[in-house]
Amino acid sequence: MMPDYVDISVHAFPEGADTPKRLNLVARSLGFATIGVTTHSPYWSQFSDSSVISGIEIVAHSVRDLRKKIAFFSDTAPIISVHGGDERINRAACSDDRVDLLMHPERGKRGGLNQVTAKIAEKNGVALGLSFGYFWKTREIERSRALALQHQNVALCQKFGVPIVITSDAYSHFDLRAPRQLKALARFIPLEDKEATAALSSAPQNIIKRSTQKEKARV
Amino acid sequence: MKPLRPTLRDSFRYVAFTLSSEEPVRTRDLQAEIFKAAKSLFGDVGVSKLGIKVVMFDGTKGLVRCHYRHVPDVQATLATIGKIENNRVRATVVGTSGTIKAAIEKYLQIDERIRRIISSYVTVPVSGKAVRMRGKEIDIIPEDREIVDRAGVQFIGITIDDNERLI
Repeated sequence: MMPDYVDISVHAFPEGADTPKRLNLVARSLGFATIGVTTHSPYWSQFSDSSVISGIEIVAHSVRDLRKKIAFFSDTAPIISVHGGDERINRAACSDDRVDLLMHPERGKRGGLNQVTAKIAEKNGVALGLSFGYFWKTREIERSRALALQHQNVALCQKFGVPIVITSDAYSHFDLRAPRQLKALARFIPLEDKEATAALSSAPQNIIKRSTQKEKARV
Repeated sequence: MKPLRPTLRDSFRYVAFTLSSEEPVRTRDLQAEIFKAAKSLFGDVGVSKLGIKVVMFDGTKGLVRCHYRHVPDVQATLATIGKIENNRVRATVVGTSGTIKAAIEKYLQIDERIRRIISSYVTVPVSGKAVRMRGKEIDIIPEDREIVDRAGVQFIGITIDDNERLI
């Protein structure tokens, strides 16, 4: 039986070009069970669409700003992900158990993760979000560099048991890819078929479960 | 020259795919882009081992031939194609088969939803001109190009459920 695949980090209208309904329609035709629409915090607006899971991707310029935003959004957004890159932001995101996902920590100067951050992430249940958009948005040096850093982070996360989540990081339906194609690309990271399947199904589903539990606890 | 015996020939697989694009794509351009993408991903030596060839393409769906051991490599290559001549595209692998006939029968009997050209002014969710419709999908050319420029596309994509007035 095919597992329920989830693409947990896509950006919908008004940040991206397609409405959540359109993205969901295309994602379902590609073989996904559902999608998670995470909006970058500058474009955050509440939308009521029960067919998709909504979330926030917090963009912060300092650790203090990040903590403030996590406190603010933890009551309103079901999924909290952090726009990684800066090493201090990555570390602060990993040390907060309200954060579900740290997206593309490799966007900084170095890999963005080290053994200390990976250990804290595992303790707090923060998953590593791999953005596969690099594969079709960039070429040559930029792509090789991003892949090398992703490779390094994946190895760290596998060693310390941090969950890995594969996402398309799409801004339109042209950025969505079928699960089987994402799995074919995951071989270059390198992730084995089983690991890639988990990164596309059980890992994002655990995040969704966790967010539902949190919501129940709040109520 | 005597042809190679079947046992000595390479074994191939046929990967069926569908292509969504903003503007119509020519077979020649698609073929060139597939080679470019494969070369960028695997290098000249890698491409020589793939045995890649576009067997057929009709504008929305097609078949790519490849060496039987390299099917995932071709799936990955098709996934890395995001643009053909400044035209955003998405190539989706539908299935793999051992013969052209089986591939077409199994995977390419997709009833093509005909793209209708429409022209109506909309304000929800964005003000602009709805230009085309395909099944439930509607594409809008917005007046304010900020969002489409950010996403690197031409249209704002909505569905019928987003704007019920368009039915």
